Amino acid sequence: MSNIQLENINLQRNKQTVLQNIQVSLNSDDFILMTGQNGSGKSTFLRIIAGLLKPDGFKLIQNDTQQSWATAKKFLRQYFCYLHQTPYLFSGTVQDNIAYGLKYQGLSKTEIEHKVDEALELIKLQHLAQRHSFALSGGEKQRVAIARSWVIHPDFILLDEPFANMDKHSRHNTYAIINQLKEENIGIILTSHDPHHGELNFNKQLHLYQGQLSEKFYQ
Amino acid sequence: MNDLSSATQQAIILLFSADPELWEIILLSFSVSLRAILISAPLAIIIAFCLSYFKFPGRHFLISLFNTAMAIPAVVVGLTLYLLLSRSGPLGDFKLLFTQDAMIMGQIVLCFPLLVALSYATLHSMDKRAWETAITLGAHPVRAFFTVLKEARFGLTAAIIAAFGRIIAEVGSSMMVGGNILHYTRNIPTAIALETSKGSFSQGIALGIVLLLMALVLNLVLSLIQARNEHHHE
Repeated sequence: MSNIQLENINLQRNKQTVLQNIQVSLNSDDFILMTGQNGSGKSTFLRIIAGLLKPDGFKLIQNDTQQSWATAKKFLRQYFCYLHQTPYLFSGTVQDNIAYGLKYQGLSKTEIEHKVDEALELIKLQHLAQRHSFALSGGEKQRVAIARSWVIHPDFILLDEPFANMDKHSRHNTYAIINQLKEENIGIILTSHDPHHGELNFNKQLHLYQGQLSEKFYQ
Repeated sequence: MNDLSSATQQAIILLFSADPELWEIILLSFSVSLRAILISAPLAIIIAFCLSYFKFPGRHFLISLFNTAMAIPAVVVGLTLYLLLSRSGPLGDFKLLFTQDAMIMGQIVLCFPLLVALSYATLHSMDKRAWETAITLGAHPVRAFFTVLKEARFGLTAAIIAAFGRIIAEVGSSMMVGGNILHYTRNIPTAIALETSKGSFSQGIALGIVLLLMALVLNLVLSLIQARNEHHHE
């Protein structure tokens, strides 16, 4: 189980404080709901911990030494996989998209094909394997993006408002997929402005308000 | 009017008669301009990418510089290169004046800012999530760079075609640093200029037809690329 501690995360944009001295400790068995109003900095926070956005200040403690951003971002990118609110699918088929990250893991073609098949089964979209990514619905795109992240087996998957613009049926399917990820011990942080997701058993809630983070543990 | 129609008639006959001199000029033109594009495009695209994806001091100045450099007249490039490459110039020892290499250098100077500016416009307007997605899925930044280029391939191809269109038709620089030497540095635009000054219009018109046809083909390719791009983003 991985534990990652980040401290003193600070970020300002246009002279406004977005994140202020945030401290967070994350375990790879965490299932975290992150709440906060629109514009409270949830996506920004996720992009920072995914190593995609450089904060003004931060402290990542690793082997008792403080890391520079150049080192820290490489470390963070190994652990976290970030999914945009509206996922970006590369031009190509669903199969090509799911195989994207696997190409960088030194796997054989057969192994990649096998893992892609497993991922398609997880999201129940086997019948769309050869469909072009641009021809998918919003819900299907979200599921393909989750499968694409799952298949590379990161320690954490960061889901940024995955249920925004989703109908009830797609939402139900996505809940099932997220619960499946959880069973495979992938840490999850899911942002939402809506705190009610009855089908998901979070163990922790992080709430972002005026740049400050508060924590609440569920039973 | 009769002169024009008879010259055009002769030009068409000349084109279909497989006149070796005419086709040598055409091939030389394409060879020089293609080499200029092949040398310029990789670096221009890398610069455009850096300008689009990284923030650094002087970035806006560089963007303005490339935008301004797009408008440099070919004859000014020719004059500057001439002064640099002439025997008494600082690069005179390389003996490049009146060679194809000098023509290529001139065309590189002309197409480079255009390639950077058009590639920058393409990459800057592209969805930045492509880069982030590639990175977060474990791609090394160099691989992520190639992924972004693949996603932007239609716009980048259009930029390359537009730059090629500009340099294959330029006369000022090629004339000054190439010298318009038959079998060696005579390309389509310099040959047209020469034949026109001699009053021998048929070869000039034949070469003009080739340039027009090429412009038509390039525009058709550009339209096709644009249509495919729009289809992709529907």
